[in-house]
Amino acid sequence: MDNTPILELKNISMRFRSVQALKDVDFDLREGEVHALVGENGAGKSTMMRILAGIYNDYEGTYIFGGKPVRFRNPHDALEQGIGMIHQELSVIPSLTVAENLYLGRQPLTRWGMVDWRKMRQNAEKELEHLGFNLDVQRNLEQYPLGTQQVVEVLRAIVSGAHVLIMDEPTSALSPAEVEELLALVDRLREQKRSIIYISHFLEEVLHVADRITILRNGEKIATLTREEASMNTLISLILGREVDYTPRGHHEIRSDTHKLLEVKGLTADVFQNIDFDIGEGEIVGLYGAIGAGHFDLARALFGLYTFDSGTIAVDGQVFPPKHSARYAIDHGLSYATESRRKSLLMDHAIYRNVTMPHLKHIGRYIPTQDQELAIATPVIQKVNVVPPDPMNPVGKLSGGNQQKVAIARWLTFPPKVFITSEPTRGMDVGAKNEVLNILRQFRNDGFGVLVVSSEPETVLAIADRVLVMSRGQIVARMVNENLDKDALMRLI
Amino acid sequence: MDTSTNPLASSLGERIRDLSATHPVAIRRITSLAPVWTLLAMFIFFGLASPNFLTVRNLENILRQMSVLAVFATGMTFVLLLGEIDLSIAAVAGVSAMISATLFTKSGAAEPIPLLAALAAAILAGFISGFFSARFRIPTFMTTLAMQLIAGGMTTYLSKGRVITQITDVSEFLGSGRIGGPNGFPVIVVVAATSLLVGHLVLRYTRFGRYIYMTGASKPAARLAGVNTNRILLMVLTICGFTAGLAGVVGMGRLHSALPDAIPSYLMDTIGAVVLGGTSLMGGRGGIPQTLVGLLIYITLRNGLDNIPTIDIYLRDFITGWVLLVALVINTVFAGRTERDKTI
Repeated sequence: MDNTPILELKNISMRFRSVQALKDVDFDLREGEVHALVGENGAGKSTMMRILAGIYNDYEGTYIFGGKPVRFRNPHDALEQGIGMIHQELSVIPSLTVAENLYLGRQPLTRWGMVDWRKMRQNAEKELEHLGFNLDVQRNLEQYPLGTQQVVEVLRAIVSGAHVLIMDEPTSALSPAEVEELLALVDRLREQKRSIIYISHFLEEVLHVADRITILRNGEKIATLTREEASMNTLISLILGREVDYTPRGHHEIRSDTHKLLEVKGLTADVFQNIDFDIGEGEIVGLYGAIGAGHFDLARALFGLYTFDSGTIAVDGQVFPPKHSARYAIDHGLSYATESRRKSLLMDHAIYRNVTMPHLKHIGRYIPTQDQELAIATPVIQKVNVVPPDPMNPVGKLSGGNQQKVAIARWLTFPPKVFITSEPTRGMDVGAKNEVLNILRQFRNDGFGVLVVSSEPETVLAIADRVLVMSRGQIVARMVNENLDKDALMRLI
Repeated sequence: MDTSTNPLASSLGERIRDLSATHPVAIRRITSLAPVWTLLAMFIFFGLASPNFLTVRNLENILRQMSVLAVFATGMTFVLLLGEIDLSIAAVAGVSAMISATLFTKSGAAEPIPLLAALAAAILAGFISGFFSARFRIPTFMTTLAMQLIAGGMTTYLSKGRVITQITDVSEFLGSGRIGGPNGFPVIVVVAATSLLVGHLVLRYTRFGRYIYMTGASKPAARLAGVNTNRILLMVLTICGFTAGLAGVVGMGRLHSALPDAIPSYLMDTIGAVVLGGTSLMGGRGGIPQTLVGLLIYITLRNGLDNIPTIDIYLRDFITGWVLLVALVINTVFAGRTERDKTI
């Protein structure tokens, strides 16, 4: 392998207001190399990759490409120079043909200025053959599985002339077979002397595909290892650092004979399969998975907002009918706070109205009056300690942590049996985090069942009595939260 | 960002927003009433410009001109609050009137049969649009566009292109009757006021009304709170169908005849008046009081220009359009409703 870098970052720093996203980071990429970038959420991977792709250009430091210092003005500029980025979310258009997708935005034209369909088709066939792919370029992309769509997305970047590819979590939404297909493509691209920056949560995948691995932590580069030097253990310890992993444990007795409040059997949909688990009275179960594992959609399915194909859900012994509505779920003791506060709250509306939203049926006979609503909402707003506590304030004026408290408080008015919450503490400072976790503990101590769905291992470990780990739509591990650490969770996904 | 230190950097809308943030109650109350000030300004202007404008007779005229539109606008307010649209109201009104008139003249049916049949047809039309939009997730823009053709086609078929000038006494009474003798209060105004009032009570004070605002403001949030948003959509379009039918019957009474074609200006005038008042096309914001103000501005503008004899009659629409545009800008900017651009 040629050891001269084709791309180099020197002393790159970047801040967003008070947050130092990157500190003096060095990085280099060689020709024909797969260089993986790993680190926790918030370690600076995304920032670095956006600098590389020309999305951010107000960084400090030097970016050398092809031997010359550069500063790309925008992603288009970077692509002109041969740096293409594959985003986590697919940006192909499923309703167009494979050929159209490959030449999106750069269709060959006839001299009359019309799209030259014949040339497009022939070029697409030639390119695919050259790259070793056998796809019908005239078929609509949506007729191919998701993995193939992802492959086409990569191929598009290459057809556009990219020699350097930045791949951001390319496999997070793929099934194991589709992952194989994508990794095979990466290998083939490496043989063609293209260079790839590969970002992934899945360490096994990284160890399999990468030539070198750079570890970021808190915006700093910790190390760059070759594949031979790296192992699962070294990677995990470098990613997490030697800092003492202090996670406050709820000292909570788990009784094996508790009454089951939620029982899920064989729940299957497109993004998760054969999910079995239960939650007992006075128990917090953590459901952990990487983004794209299907755990958030599973939570929605329980609440009746994501259609599932088979399996059963039972709350307190009562089996839900298939295709139950969210109303049915609420009326039978389920409640759900989604990971997106923006989606669950009405930002322009007063706090008390957001609290009473799901319960209008139980307030007043036909006409909920403001006084009745306030009488119900005010105690719970005080109970979760929303600051400022004025129930007439619009929710949009509150901080993120306080908005989350409102989203949770609404379920305290007419308490459910099982409370499902996705990412209850995302984006909060430590104080707000602890307050929210304490509210959840209070739920448990009052005898409810709680399901905490999260992609942040800290959250799950801090609060759960039992932990379920989900990966690619399956529950892959079930553990009691005793002596567990991030390390253990990250190995499993 | 502190815009007060750098006033040049902020737009007019932002400055007004800042102002309402620092002087919350007073300023916000004044700015959010921008449409009311617009209306007052118009009254003062036309009052000075035309001797006939501020007469009892003309003010009654304004109310009567407004009435059919007000019935339409009641249903349309529901629909727009949900962030949806109903393009079929004018056509549905036409078919309702034609059904009533046809039953009366050709089949000799006595009231209340023509009236009930007309309203039932209108309710059915709204229900059908709502059903297909809710069940198959077809945008209401399309289902109601189809309904516009269906209802319009039905009117053509029933009328065979002829105007029917014989209408029932009930329609006549609703559209042209007066309470208390020939110089009494117009019934049509009572109908319009009742329609607006009932609409207001439902939106403001019932659970159903709250669900409409919730769904319009954020469909995901409403669904997460257990609201059956499909049912809300179905009910709202059905209500809009009903008010369109009622407007059709009342309008027929006002014109003393059922026309073979829908009056297309009804649709745009209705949407225009409702939005002018401050109800958002995106849903979630507005209400019947806003609609009332919007209606008054809209009709006052038309009526006022008619009352200034020096204005060239052929220029009237041209001027109306410009004044409307200015009123819209004033209403949006001063109500602090200019949206911050957040797209990337």
